[in-house]
Amino acid sequence: MARERSARTGWLLVLPALALLCALTLYPVGYGIWISFFDKHSFFPGERFVAAANYLAVFADEEFWRAVRLGLVYSISTIALQLGLGVGAALLLNEALPGRNVLRAIVVFPYVIPTVVAVIIWKWLLNSQFGLVNYALETARLVDEPISWMGRDWIMVSLILVSVWQFFPFVVIAVLARLQTIPPELYEAATVDGASAFRRFLHVTLPQLASVLFVVVLLRSIWMFTKFDTPWLLIQGGGAETYIRTLPIYTYMRAFAYYEAGRGSAMAVVMFLMLVVAAALYFRLWRREESL
Amino acid sequence: MTRALRLGGWRGALLLAGVAALLFFTAFPFAWMIATAFKAPREIFVSPPTFFPSELTLENVSRLFAQTRFATYLANSVLVASGTVALTLAIATPGAYSLTRFRYRGRETISATILFVYMFAPIMIIIPFYVLMRTLGLANTHLGLVLAYTTFCLPFALWLLRTFFQSIPLELEEAALTDGASRAQSVRYVVLPLALPGVVATGIFTFILAWNDYIFARVLISADELKTLPVGIADLYNASVVDWGMIMSAGMLVLLPVLAVFVVVQRYMVAGWGSGGIKG
Amino acid sequence: MVRTALAASLVAFAAAALSPPAQAQKVIRVWHTETQPNSQAAMKNIAARFEAKHPGVKVELEALAWTDLEGKIMASLAAGTPPELSHGQPITCTALQSKGLLLPLDDVVKALGEANIFDQIKRVCRVGNSQYGLVHAAGTSLLIYRKDLAQKHGVKPPKTWADLVAAAKALTLDTNNDGKPDIYGITLPGDNLFINILLGELIASNGGILFDKQNRPQLTAKQMIETLDFIKELVRYAPPGWEGHGYRETFTNLYGQKAAMMFQGYGRGASLIEQNAPKEMASSDYFDVWVKPHGPSGKAPTAQVDEEPWMLFKGAKNPKEAVEFLKFFYQKENYLEYIQTVPIHFFPITKSMRADRDYQSTPMIQRWKGWLEAQEYYLSRDQGRPTLVVNWEDMNTKPYLMEVLGSGILRDMVMDAVLEGKPPKDATARAQKRLEDLLRSKGYLK
Repeated sequence: MARERSARTGWLLVLPALALLCALTLYPVGYGIWISFFDKHSFFPGERFVAAANYLAVFADEEFWRAVRLGLVYSISTIALQLGLGVGAALLLNEALPGRNVLRAIVVFPYVIPTVVAVIIWKWLLNSQFGLVNYALETARLVDEPISWMGRDWIMVSLILVSVWQFFPFVVIAVLARLQTIPPELYEAATVDGASAFRRFLHVTLPQLASVLFVVVLLRSIWMFTKFDTPWLLIQGGGAETYIRTLPIYTYMRAFAYYEAGRGSAMAVVMFLMLVVAAALYFRLWRREESL
Repeated sequence: MTRALRLGGWRGALLLAGVAALLFFTAFPFAWMIATAFKAPREIFVSPPTFFPSELTLENVSRLFAQTRFATYLANSVLVASGTVALTLAIATPGAYSLTRFRYRGRETISATILFVYMFAPIMIIIPFYVLMRTLGLANTHLGLVLAYTTFCLPFALWLLRTFFQSIPLELEEAALTDGASRAQSVRYVVLPLALPGVVATGIFTFILAWNDYIFARVLISADELKTLPVGIADLYNASVVDWGMIMSAGMLVLLPVLAVFVVVQRYMVAGWGSGGIKG
Repeated sequence: MVRTALAASLVAFAAAALSPPAQAQKVIRVWHTETQPNSQAAMKNIAARFEAKHPGVKVELEALAWTDLEGKIMASLAAGTPPELSHGQPITCTALQSKGLLLPLDDVVKALGEANIFDQIKRVCRVGNSQYGLVHAAGTSLLIYRKDLAQKHGVKPPKTWADLVAAAKALTLDTNNDGKPDIYGITLPGDNLFINILLGELIASNGGILFDKQNRPQLTAKQMIETLDFIKELVRYAPPGWEGHGYRETFTNLYGQKAAMMFQGYGRGASLIEQNAPKEMASSDYFDVWVKPHGPSGKAPTAQVDEEPWMLFKGAKNPKEAVEFLKFFYQKENYLEYIQTVPIHFFPITKSMRADRDYQSTPMIQRWKGWLEAQEYYLSRDQGRPTLVVNWEDMNTKPYLMEVLGSGILRDMVMDAVLEGKPPKDATARAQKRLEDLLRSKGYLK
């Protein structure tokens, strides 16, 4: 006996979520898009309509393209490393090791703390004069002189390091959960066929992980491309900001340091459109059953 | 299900080395933070740096509690994050169920649009968001903060819960209905128990997102007694005179209770994701 | 268990929902940037005493870092609900005033006694005959040096930039004979705010200007090129990675004995030294100050003054009460308590307080007298300026200094010339063009 699923009930159930989202995001996002067509000083009231002038200025700005480049370097590196480290860690933690539960809890630590605490710890560890990392490197004779982790040459590396440390547990959790549901018969069949450990990984594990990885990469990409806190906090109190001026940082600067609310918003809209295009491409290329 | 552990030979050694490296990478910074929290200020700035404090001191911790409202910030964070979890689950669970089990026009559009919320960088909407909150009389209130966090946790919560509901075979619900149960009863007695790990997992992820936020708490909250931990700690860090010992002890105190909870609850996080992944 | 947890969080949520603060009285919101706990405590005491004297008035204090404060001011102005009082940068104050967003503080000036306030202080945010911002306390930038090391190596007070470079070289020491420096001659911060402060000071000390009367940037002029050359020479004796060092880090370098001099020190350093340097060294016998040198094209040095004015916002709900609070704040008992939280950095704005016996006998002031005298040197000779202000009229005629500071263009220029090895004339030309574009887009340049 087929039960009808009343469309009306469906709408009612999803209404609170929709209502809250609309109420609290429609105005801010709408305002953001609207003001991008105006020239507005961030401190003072009053705006002047300039049509597409802000957008033209954005595309003509060489600092903008530099920020895009830095942002891509940052996002792609961190996502690749988060994936690699996360999948590797998940594989490790999937083994029946003693104290596995405690290990898993510990691995999750970095994701759980506020960003500000993570940055504070790492900034101190990476302090060029007093930090433990340089001390260890110098004692082990791996370097001749202290590395300036917050300086021109290494700050991007430091940023990537902190970001990977902080967010790889997200990947671990997702992948580990999925690993636990892979039927062992698949591995046994592969072993019987004479596949090595590596081939088992390639032909059994990876395909099974595909759907989880699809979503993980999507979410992490969005979040790393728009990440503001981590680089921002790294810059506070010293850090060669020029060299990690990613798009979110530059957008913030335009709005809050150049005091150009309109132009900053235009940049945010451009950033948004970039993500939408990338997401659309992503879905097209790797279309999965996962509906969102 | 995991395969039986084979620890012999080079494979075992590699495994153990991997685990050790992983543990070191993840936990060492925390260990070091805790060690610094117990060092006297003068010892923090020695070169070469020491790891273990030459003498353990509680002065950083006592200074933290004496000079700042750390306990208040901690309580506020717990309050706001819990409130966010409650509200998010209350709204997202029926929402996700609707997106899974019901068919209506616009369903997929809603799902896709919800994801878009994440693509508009939060820092750019913070000012109009503040204006909106002011207009609604919610600025400088915990309620306003909870609403803000719920809004930004909703898309992720909806997606995650939807995955769980999808993994529960429709036949089970149908069977309950055939047996004479009402729709509400079938949900309550069949669906929810099975989705419980997913609900818990969603709650935990939501808690983390709300617990860690800095921007919204900074802009929306002014009164010192309402501040949350990330803001309180950032203030310590931004002070012109930085007290590293105090900051590290703050970091330590933020960490320990959350970790204790995590050791207990982590299996829900993992199991929660797992059952969601059975399909596909 | 989960059910109880969910119930508990629902209760928590309900509690959160019911927690907005009650607002039955007149509330004055006071935002400031002195986040260190003892200054916050002093402000709270002052507020409590004020509330006791004025029943029906509540003072809501908030202490924030500067960048956060600006963001909040922006948000509050956008919402039409500015605070009553707030700290601000001097150039921000005049910019806000030029848009009619502030109310004058002449009543407070009168209460303090116009002649009682140092002239230099009165020039900050004064428009016409009205004072639109009143500095909470001043603190000049200081050249701090290791007295013991200077004496040991025969280094004399530098009078010119060349002298300073030579001093930095002489004080870069390899104490353990491993071929690498263990103490660097000088430390300076590389972050945006401080590079801007530095450039403002140096160009003024070199007889140059940043913008002419028609608002044209003057970066390609000789004085700026000389300035960039000087910085390039100087950082050879700074710890590598200086561009990533923040203000606090330079202090750490100083009392952690990684650097012998600090070009942009402030009175706060005295507290830090007492707290963190080895006990036997924690005094002005080891850490003293020199007057800054001037450049080849200049005659006298200029030091930046960290002097944030209190601003009173038009559109705030309770301006009258706010004025009363400010008057109360500057009364001896209160102001003294405030000043004593960072006594060497908080140079009082009134001559009466500076001469006051209780102030003078504050133990820390006794211990670090020389540091205060150096600050008085700059202030009394009109050689102290707010950030990026070269001539006093700049404050009122160049409201775009705020944007120049925030844009980071000047800092990028320094990085180009000093780190990237670009020839100064290329670095300055590029920065010049960017500044011209910026000013043109805002309508300050035709």
